[in-house]
Amino acid sequence: MTIPTQHDREHAKETLDYIRRTMESATSFTAVSGWGLVTVGFVGLVAAWLAWSGGRDADLRIWLPTAFVSVVIASISNVAKARRTNVPIWSGAIRRSVWVIAPALAAGGVLTLALARDGATHLLPGMWLALYGAGVTAGAEFSIRAIRWMGISFLLLGAVGLLRPDWGLPLLAAGFGGLHLVIGINIVVRHGG
Amino acid sequence: MAGSNVAESLDRLIHERIRLGIVSALAAEDGMSFADLKQVLQTTDGNLSVHARKLEDAGYIRVTKGFEDRRPRTQYRLTAKGRRAFEEYVNQMETIISEARDALERS
Repeated sequence: MTIPTQHDREHAKETLDYIRRTMESATSFTAVSGWGLVTVGFVGLVAAWLAWSGGRDADLRIWLPTAFVSVVIASISNVAKARRTNVPIWSGAIRRSVWVIAPALAAGGVLTLALARDGATHLLPGMWLALYGAGVTAGAEFSIRAIRWMGISFLLLGAVGLLRPDWGLPLLAAGFGGLHLVIGINIVVRHGG
Repeated sequence: MAGSNVAESLDRLIHERIRLGIVSALAAEDGMSFADLKQVLQTTDGNLSVHARKLEDAGYIRVTKGFEDRRPRTQYRLTAKGRRAFEEYVNQMETIISEARDALERS
């Protein structure tokens, strides 16, 4: 019987590495637009400023349109980046990402209605940050690593927000403004726009 | 790879890089379009077509042609035979690594 040489071993390791990278690449959604996230961050900061001016942290008249505008900006910028980098727009990876993010966001919508109806609006900022973080962290399974860190950071901010509701507005500004800006700039620098 | 029994019995059909890439991608993502595969493997249309045809002829992948938004769309899937061949190939790679390590430890 012949025994594999050290060269065989190195080649086998390199081949397994190639298989792993190819499988990851086939299942990952990489066309996350950094500029899109930066824009969403600015929108978040403007919303926080408007809420602060109006004296109501979780003013739904401000934050609901903000959420809608942010989703539109993120969708348009991601599609634009996918086209520019020649990546499939509606791949299996993005389909799965949407499916795992959607339940957390839907739960956030229902909880928003329930808490607002019962007058517990002081819990909204923490809940929004935590559920958005839960959705993003789960969706990041199929995307680049920076998105996972963003999701985990949102979760932490949400936990703080639920324990300290009086910090709601600064936490919303830090999350929907600051975190989107920081991670967006990171993606612009490291993943080309 | 000439030094090992395992290496000598490798499936030459998926040993080739692009074909191994096609099979690996389809093992992870069931059902990929020509454009998806081309992007993942970073290869040319001609290269991908030639190697995909060889895998199709061997019964490792199944190709379906259809239309999406009135544009032709070719969809690739791994067959049960293709999946078995892929798993066997990965096992063989792992065997080579462990045999070489054992030999190194004995020497």
